[in-house]
This record gives sequence, structure tokens and C-alpha cells, in this order.
Amino acid sequence: MAVAQVRKPPMGGIGKRVAYYPGCSLEGAARAYDVSTRIVAKELGLELDYLEDYNCCGAMETKNVTFWGTMLLNARNMSLAKKQGHSVIVAPCNGCSFSLQRAEYFLETDKNVFERINSLLREGGVDPLNEIPHTYHILEWFYHEAGPEKVKERTKKPLRGLKVANYYGCLYTRPHFYARTYSHSGTEEQERPRMRETADDDEHPYYMNALLEAAGATSVEYEPMHTQCCGGPHSLSDEQVSEKFVMMLLQTAKRNGADIIATECPLCHASLEMYRHRLMMKGVPDVDVPAAYFTQLLGLAFGYSAGDVKLKDNLSDPLPVLQRLGLA
Amino acid sequence: MAIHERSLVDPERVLRKERLVIDGVDVSGDWNLIILPRVVEDYDLDFYDEVIAQPEGKTIVNCYQCSYCTASCPVHNYWDERYNPRHFIYLARLGLIDELQKRADVMWRCVSCHKCTHRCPKGVLVEEVLKAILRVMAKRGIIEEYPSKKFDKFFMDSVYEYGRIEDGELLFGWIEKQGYQVVKDPILKKPIPFFGGVPDWLKDLAAKPIKNMNISFLILNAKHMLFHPRTKNWNRFKQVLRKVMEEEGVFTH
Ligand code: SF4
Ligand code: SF4
Repeated sequence: MAVAQVRKPPMGGIGKRVAYYPGCSLEGAARAYDVSTRIVAKELGLELDYLEDYNCCGAMETKNVTFWGTMLLNARNMSLAKKQGHSVIVAPCNGCSFSLQRAEYFLETDKNVFERINSLLREGGVDPLNEIPHTYHILEWFYHEAGPEKVKERTKKPLRGLKVANYYGCLYTRPHFYARTYSHSGTEEQERPRMRETADDDEHPYYMNALLEAAGATSVEYEPMHTQCCGGPHSLSDEQVSEKFVMMLLQTAKRNGADIIATECPLCHASLEMYRHRLMMKGVPDVDVPAAYFTQLLGLAFGYSAGDVKLKDNLSDPLPVLQRLGLA
Repeated sequence: MAIHERSLVDPERVLRKERLVIDGVDVSGDWNLIILPRVVEDYDLDFYDEVIAQPEGKTIVNCYQCSYCTASCPVHNYWDERYNPRHFIYLARLGLIDELQKRADVMWRCVSCHKCTHRCPKGVLVEEVLKAILRVMAKRGIIEEYPSKKFDKFFMDSVYEYGRIEDGELLFGWIEKQGYQVVKDPILKKPIPFFGGVPDWLKDLAAKPIKNMNISFLILNAKHMLFHPRTKNWNRFKQVLRKVMEEEGVFTH
């Protein structure tokens, strides 16, 4: 559902060279996302400065065990980014960007947290934070620093005929306290205390749609499933609920005519692929839509091969679909 | 949406008369239902204070019970109607601990999607508040170990130990914790995915990179499983982590 946009966020303003926090997943099972992200950044003329020696952000799990520990984990990463001379961190994972942005929220709004964390950082042999770096999801960065124009310009092999369901997941747009999103169709009344002009629309995100459409793909209707949960932190611990949620996601995509689901989070992606496989083994109908990272699709459009963007890493086998359409 | 406060009325307090005459007026029909008042004595206001005392729990004070959170919640809408964030906040505020305890079996099911937090018109960090409530319940022993808590701890252990996590270890370690028999190599004691009693879907998935001849992927993940990725200079930082976690009582509950 396209929503009339009253407010158009200004382009640019984030910086072409940023600290890159890949997160644990991207260096392991989600290698394809890392590789294709680097390809896309290079093609779009953007520079990712790998954050040396980072630690896990704690994802959605450690925050339930320890508040202070989780703050510390993220503050350490922020401090490393500062040390490398960056005031902007970019993370390709919803979980990582959530964790960093959550820490940002508490550090900025609670003076006690800020002071205590700084003294703890010193104790742990890490530089304290005098300024708090801001974290952006990589999609927001691509959209603002390159944008659909640049993607179009770079596209050598348009994704013609590919019908994509753009899946954003939960934490890319939520909660607005951390993700700083706001309603692009709203007026001043919906002004939010921490909103950031460059952030995506909160209930109707469209940055991924815009980038993939610029690369020649067609987006299918995918609201409201585009921001519905995949089971997230419970994908291993609560199989019943996760399976049901993923089933809803896959079936909606299929019934709306999608060839492929584009993802922008390694956790969502893994959850989709894992439960897709299980649902197919059970013989549940309409769950066979494969998933690919949006950066993989952009990479293909930029003329890279399926091997370059590691399409074989995807356990849901998107290759046959793409080959059928002559895209890979 | 069900009115959940109805569940606070014990069945034996609901009286329904066939014929009801008050001051000579026959009010049978719509007015023949009487609910005897209940005096609540078993409330505990300290519970609420303990929730507020946690940095994530503070915003519970802003809640005006509009139920927007519940209306947005996918667990409520697609899984179990008894899962009701608004109601949990209500009970925590009144300190109705035994009522919370009755709902302990669904309370952990929150998938942290943050729809509630995002949409709350009063700026309550709902998801965080619910986790704070769960933590106080655990501290008081009124909720048993639940699956997601076990997973959270398992995850935390890995981060605490190495500074980084590793997907394979997390997956197979968790599967093993679920009681499946995982075969390990005799020397390094690392799981071998294709044998033993691991579920079929997992064997199938693990075999995919082999079928696809995706050698570099296999090598990368095998390397990570054998040599857990670590953060350098982690030990000194780990001491500080340990300190704050000890203060929070993480190691005791
Ligand atoms: S949406 Fe916010 S104010 Fe409304 S019931 Fe939920 S927590 Fe309370
Ligand atoms: S974060 Fe939890 S309580 Fe909130 S809407 Fe999602 S599942 Fe429901």
C-alpha cells in the first residue's frame, strides 16, 4: 500500500565513509550478506571501515539477562568506533543496529547510565565516551548516501520481471525511541522526540522497495507482513510460535505473487530459511518462496555473478528462480 | 478483545438470581447478575517498586491502560489471547502477584518485536517493562525457568566467555540442551552435524552446502566451530562484565 508522502527526507547527511559493524552472524553463517554488502558499497562509491576487534552486541538475548552488561558491550563498540575516528556506525543487522541504538538511547537520556558506563569502560581498559556515535541501519545509509538514482545508474543487468516481497522485520523501524523513525505521511503532529530526518517511515518503510525497484525489480504488496515478526529471539527457543509466524510471512508472500523475499537482517533471514525448510518437510502449502539478501539482488543487478554474491550460501535456494528469469 | 479483568472475578462471587425484586421493583432480566465484592489483601506494592527500580522498568509509571500495546501484539493476536501486555502491567502495578503467577506459562512468550513499545502513546517502553516484570518474578521465584530464559543465558555465556558468538555452536549447543543426542569428535569435542539424534530437518539443512559443493562456506564454518572467534584483550573487560553482572545477581538466579 503506497502512502502519500507529505514529508520527503533530505538526501545525504550521513557521510560516505563510516565505521562498519558487521556483527557475529555476518562473519559466519551470513557470510553472503557481508560479501554482497561490500560489493554494493564499492559500486555505490561508499566506504566501509571495518570496526576492528569488536564484540557481540548482545542481540536480543543478553538484554534480558543483564542491563548493565549489555550497555557495556555496546559502549565498548561505540568507543572503538570513536577511536577509529568515526561518529557514525553502520550495521547491516536489525539486531545489532537495535542494540547499538538502544544503548544510544539510554546513554543519551539517562545521565546516571552515561556516567556509570564511562567509569566502567575506564576500568575495563577502554576509552570512555565523551561523545556518543550514532548508529544507522545499512539500508538507511545506502538510501541516503547513494539512493535510487545511483543504483539505477549502476545497474547493468536490471532485475526485470523479478517480483519481490520486501521484508523489513521488526527492529529496523521499531521502536521509534531507538530507531528514530517517524511517519513520512504525517504532519508535525506526529513529531517525535528522537526522530531523525533520514530514518525510514515507521509503519510503511519503503527504502528497500525503492532501491530494488531502481534496480529493475517489481515490489509486490506485502503489508503488513513486511514488518511482522519472524520469531526473532525465540526462533530457537519457541518453535511453535516462530513456525506459525514464518508460515504467515511465507504464505502471504507467495499468495501475493512474490518470486523471492528480500531480507535485510541475517537473523530474519536465517529464521525464514530454517522454518521454510521445516514447513516444506511437513507439506504445508505455499511456503516455498526463497529468500535473498537485498544486497545480493543489487549485486546481481550491478552485473556480478551468483558466485560473487554467494547465492549458494542461501539455504532456501533462490538460484532456480533467478535462473528461470535469466537473472543469474 | 476479551476484557481480561473479568478473569479476576472468581466464579463463586458471581451470583445470578432467577427473580430479583429490589424495593418492590422487579429487576429480573438484565439486572439479575450480582458480583460480590472482593477484598484484596494479598497485594504486594514492593513488587511495583522493584520494577521501577530497574532502568528499563521506569516508564511503567506512564501507562494509562489504553491497551494499544495489546492490540498491536502478534503473540496476543496470532497465538494466545491470554498473552496481554496491558493486563500484565495492570497486575504488576496492583502487586497482584498470585494473578501474575497464574499467567506465568504465557508471559515469557513475547518475541521482542517492539510493536507495543513503538505504538504506546504514553512512551512506555512496554517490551522492556515486561522483561523487567519477568525478572522480578524470577528473582522472587514465582516463575519457573522458561525456554527463552534458558536460551538467553546460554547466549550470554558464549558472549561472556569469548566476546563473540558462533552460529554453529549456538545452534547445536541448543539442540543438545533440548535433549537431542549430538555426536562429537573425540578430540576437540565439537559437534558433527550429520550423525546422531539431531532432528531430520537440521541434518537436511546441514547437508545442503555439501550437496551444493559450497566448499568455502563449509571451510569457514568448520573453522569457526573448531576455533571459536574471539575478541582480543577480552579478559580485562570480562572482569568488569563479571562485576556488574554479579551486582545484578545474574549468577545467583
Ligand atoms: S499502550 Fe502504553 S499506555 Fe496503553 S496500555 Fe499499553 S503500555 Fe499502557
Ligand atoms: S514486543 Fe512482545 S509484548 Fe510487545 S508486541 Fe511484540 S510480542 Fe507483544
